[in-house]
Amino acid sequence: MNSNAMRAAVGVAVIVVAIVLLVVLRKSDSSNTTSNTSGKVPTIVVKNGKPVGGVRNLTYNKGEQIRFKVESDVSDEVHVHGYDIMKDVKAGGSVSFDFPANIEGVFEAELEGRKEQIIELTVNP
Amino acid sequence: MSLLLPVAHALVARKDLPIPAWLFAWGASIVLIISFFALSAAWRKPRFEQERWRPVGAGFSRALLSMPVQVLCGVVGIFLLGFSIYAGLHGTEAPDRNFALTFIFVTAWLGFPLFSVIFGDVFRPFNPWRAIGRMVGGAFSAVAGQRPGHLTYPERLGRWPAAIGLLAVVWLEVVYGASGGVAVGLSPDAAGLAALIYSIYTLAMMALFGVEKWCQRGEIFSVYFGMFSQLGTFGVKDGRLGRRLPLSASTHWATVPGSAAVVIASIASTSFDGAQEGAFKSGILQTFEWLAEAGFSLTTSLRLTDTIFMLLCFAGVGLVYLIGVRGMATVRGAPPLKKLREGFAHTLIPIAFAYLVAHYFSLFVFQEQAQFTYLLSDPLGTATTDLFGTASGGIDFKLLSANAIWYVQVGALVIGHVVGLTLAHDRATAYWGDYRQAARSQYWMLAVMVAFTCFGLYLLSVANA
Repeated sequence: MNSNAMRAAVGVAVIVVAIVLLVVLRKSDSSNTTSNTSGKVPTIVVKNGKPVGGVRNLTYNKGEQIRFKVESDVSDEVHVHGYDIMKDVKAGGSVSFDFPANIEGVFEAELEGRKEQIIELTVNP
Repeated sequence: MSLLLPVAHALVARKDLPIPAWLFAWGASIVLIISFFALSAAWRKPRFEQERWRPVGAGFSRALLSMPVQVLCGVVGIFLLGFSIYAGLHGTEAPDRNFALTFIFVTAWLGFPLFSVIFGDVFRPFNPWRAIGRMVGGAFSAVAGQRPGHLTYPERLGRWPAAIGLLAVVWLEVVYGASGGVAVGLSPDAAGLAALIYSIYTLAMMALFGVEKWCQRGEIFSVYFGMFSQLGTFGVKDGRLGRRLPLSASTHWATVPGSAAVVIASIASTSFDGAQEGAFKSGILQTFEWLAEAGFSLTTSLRLTDTIFMLLCFAGVGLVYLIGVRGMATVRGAPPLKKLREGFAHTLIPIAFAYLVAHYFSLFVFQEQAQFTYLLSDPLGTATTDLFGTASGGIDFKLLSANAIWYVQVGALVIGHVVGLTLAHDRATAYWGDYRQAARSQYWMLAVMVAFTCFGLYLLSVANA
């Protein structure tokens, strides 16, 4: 290879290595987020029709059991998209979910009537 | 952050998982290895400049291109357009339950590129505006006893109207549907109205410049789908169906001005759609808050922000390509810049197709289940009709595992990369008589392709399209 080729090759290699590092580093950052496989059942509190603390991220591996509870001060229907599970919640009441993580992907759970997302549900393979 | 920017796609109940870091690393490594291999083991004479077109069986060709079949396809096209407009305007406002959105933006918008690559320019016979235009033209000729006269299309414009239109379609799909600072996706009635307005505009342009001329230059869907059909093996020549060397037709596609802009618009709009919830998320959020604080309404701020980022994508993709072209121009024996700019635009078509597959493959597979179950039996989403008994059907999200989707995504990008490199190298051997100079010019295109492919992989690793 001549010098021009070497320069181009080095340039390309640097770009790729930089991007790989960027992504790998990003991944290790995000891996700090809590998994919900053990411990107590996560509870999402809804105040004035919005989730307290923003949309909750829940992450599971396929085959695990998805459990969470929604406490709401408004009456609405909680809809887990993709899994298509719907449960009504009364104002001031709560509703519990318990179903197997058998579909991979990223799904929303929302207050159907308000179109308000409360959970981002991630199921890894 | 108090403001949240939720999903732009009102259709999807599911998003793809980002590709894992190890797969990203493997994908990028394979791309790099293939690229080095391409540098060393390349051919010295162009292979794709000649189409080597040869006709298929005369009977089959005649039957397929016969007038009754053309009329039938045209009628089907007109019916589907009319029905989409009707469903959009009169059906339910729930985006995922209305025939119009899924049919226009998934079945047609994503389906035709795929089928065009496999079967050739299949949109042409079904193009509803072309069918209407031909009927009106035929009726005019019969009554007036002469063919309708047209203005001369300003060739300087080339395919620019289609390139801008392509951005407009994606803008409508992913940017316009905002309400109170929340991206809610395009509503069915807005989609229906847009289709109606576009129909009027297209028919007017066809009346001005002629049906076929406008289809070749300005009609967004004809130009866009037609671009992908250039990659495939089937093509019609002088009224006869035939087969040609795959990829070869694309080598002469970009000689019309503005063609590069069409490919770049395609890559850019797919990039934007993939990046808005991943790579660009924080940037979009910051710009949005900044504009909202500057006194714009929330809806305007969101639309403005997304528009800026979409145009930045277009400028960015265009810039990378132009840098590659500039670089090639420095190699001894290079043709003029203009010729280089037009001469390598087609090498991006495989990349554009790979981006489409990578970002929309799962959406297409899942949403077509809806298209052929409840959206077919209950197109207006009224829950009172069940035309084919499939209204209670749904989408089986278990059909594709996350792993399967990842491999298709990375595989599409790698294959697109290889095909793009192949076309670029082939063109270089045609432009540079000297093999060594041709190879030198290709370090630049190689850098361009690696940039696009790794950017595509990067988008998949952070975003859920």
